[in-house]
Amino acid sequence: MDLTPWVEAFDASVDRSMAWATDNGGLFFDLVRGALEGLFDLMVDGLIFVPFWLVAIAFGGIATRSLGWKAGLASAAALAFCRVMGLWTATVETMCLVLISVVLAVIIGVPVGVVAGYSRRLTRILEPMLDLIQTLPPYIYLLPAIAFLGYGPATAIVATFIVAVPPVVRLSAHGFRMTPIEFIELGQATGARPLDAFLKIRVPFALPSVMAGINQSLMMAFGMVVIAGIVGSGGLGETIYGAVRKLDIALSVNAAIAIVILTIIIDRISQSAGNSNGGTR
Amino acid sequence: MTRNDTAPYDAPLIECRSVWKVFGDRSRDAIAAIKSRGLGKREVLSEFGCVVGVHDACFTVGKGEIFCIMGLSGSGKSTLIRLLNRLIDPSLGEVLVKGRAINDMPAAELRDLRAHTIGMVFQNVALIPTRTVLENAAFGLEVQGVAPAERRRIAIDALTRVGLGDWLNRYPRELSGGMQQRVGLARALAADPEIILMDEPFSALDPLIRRQLQDEFRQLTKQLGKSAVFITHDLDEAIRIGDRIAIMKDGAMVQTGTAEEIVMNPADQYVADFVAGISRIHLVKAGSVMMPVGAFTAAPLDALPSAGLDADIDRLIHLVLASDHQAVAVIDGGKSVGVVTARTLLEGLKGDHAPAAGVA
Repeated sequence: MDLTPWVEAFDASVDRSMAWATDNGGLFFDLVRGALEGLFDLMVDGLIFVPFWLVAIAFGGIATRSLGWKAGLASAAALAFCRVMGLWTATVETMCLVLISVVLAVIIGVPVGVVAGYSRRLTRILEPMLDLIQTLPPYIYLLPAIAFLGYGPATAIVATFIVAVPPVVRLSAHGFRMTPIEFIELGQATGARPLDAFLKIRVPFALPSVMAGINQSLMMAFGMVVIAGIVGSGGLGETIYGAVRKLDIALSVNAAIAIVILTIIIDRISQSAGNSNGGTR
Repeated sequence: MTRNDTAPYDAPLIECRSVWKVFGDRSRDAIAAIKSRGLGKREVLSEFGCVVGVHDACFTVGKGEIFCIMGLSGSGKSTLIRLLNRLIDPSLGEVLVKGRAINDMPAAELRDLRAHTIGMVFQNVALIPTRTVLENAAFGLEVQGVAPAERRRIAIDALTRVGLGDWLNRYPRELSGGMQQRVGLARALAADPEIILMDEPFSALDPLIRRQLQDEFRQLTKQLGKSAVFITHDLDEAIRIGDRIAIMKDGAMVQTGTAEEIVMNPADQYVADFVAGISRIHLVKAGSVMMPVGAFTAAPLDALPSAGLDADIDRLIHLVLASDHQAVAVIDGGKSVGVVTARTLLEGLKGDHAPAAGVA
């Protein structure tokens, strides 16, 4: 039996629905694009306007507070080094892309995760979707994004967002699902209202897991944001993409170093935020 | 079926009327069969594949009473205690608290009942690790919406009662197991409930601390005039703490009574095996080991030292040894009601003596 016609019909329907969405959702996509790019430009312009050493010191300060002065000093020096390599603007752009994507992932992912933590049915629906997102090669998300939002940072943010959402949802749901039974009973037995039981019992126990999810999400976002260089995201991803095309090995190595620096700093800071929530205040 | 209007004034604080809990997918069918055909635990398991957690429990807990439920793991005691504040819904039968059926109590009333009338202390304490001792003790008050200054005052008071007044700002992990369980008790006491449900609170503690907490708990409960339902797998603990004891096996209450009643008159072999190792010296009272006055002819009664009905064997041994006639007259209401001799004491200690008087 020849199934080719069905496959063709399926492909055609996908194309048609894409075309329909582009034709009819134009205003919506323009709005999304405008909002994301506006936010991105605002953040980048702000951070570029501030002298680089102030940004480096600010990050050094945050790292000192959560990880100690050695880490703080190293973070500030490493960021200054990005500037020395002439990659300051690209570094700032990459940071903004990652932060915007992850903040969006947290805004959407945490509430979904909380509900999934309570509801088995939602978990059953979400599980295969999250599995699908995480198994498909991340490049795939650039295609629809570029079709709807065009070439530029908005596409990069949306694609990065898609990749960054699953760990937040999964680990939030896990955290809220794993509240020890005796503490749930404690809430009931003291006559706590559902909201109190949520805020005062579920949240403290779930927080470490939620924070781990955010950390994972940041790491996924750093991976994706480099790939998104292909669609003109700006930032280090685009620098690397350009350098690869021109076989400029030196530049691509520099940009890779800058990515590593940024990733390590943000990873460590977000990890320590997660840990400090688990133990004492 | 409301009973709140017909509740007598001196109704027991807690009353369980033929309460069943059946676990399993077909529990509904199983319950119907129990109702219509009077099936037992074994039939329910074989016919419906359902486990009977609590099997036809009937008991009452009076005001100021400490009621111990003793059973091994899997005997259904933890399920039973959770039926009393409806952490678990009964499958059949009803639970009355202060004369009010709680089975279909609306959520708000149930919350109110749990907040003000029934406190609970858990086996694994359940102190929230991110809160200090003080904040943990104030948790119940906090969720009831008591103002911060007020709940602080009450929680400090409760912590002081359990001897933790100097540990207010420590975190639970800085405390030993015994101290943590004291915080758990303080948290329950802070809400000033009439009834405290104790779910094996001391079983994870080492023996010395456990004994100390048992005595403190009993003293504190009596002093504050609270009632308690206390779950334990340790008969010694039940005897130390409880005014009355219920022994559970396979979800059913095998015997209910005072420690003395259970030790002197075990209802079946299971209970008899349990009480075999229990020391009777402080448990068994004169009323259980005396012989009728008429059976004693060795000496005139007024020549004997005397003791009350509730003198324990330890005290009677001292009196008998000190007496010239090796006997003690038991006095109740100014009259001699029996005589304890060395022989009756030995029989009482041995255990299979069928008491002539004093035990129902």
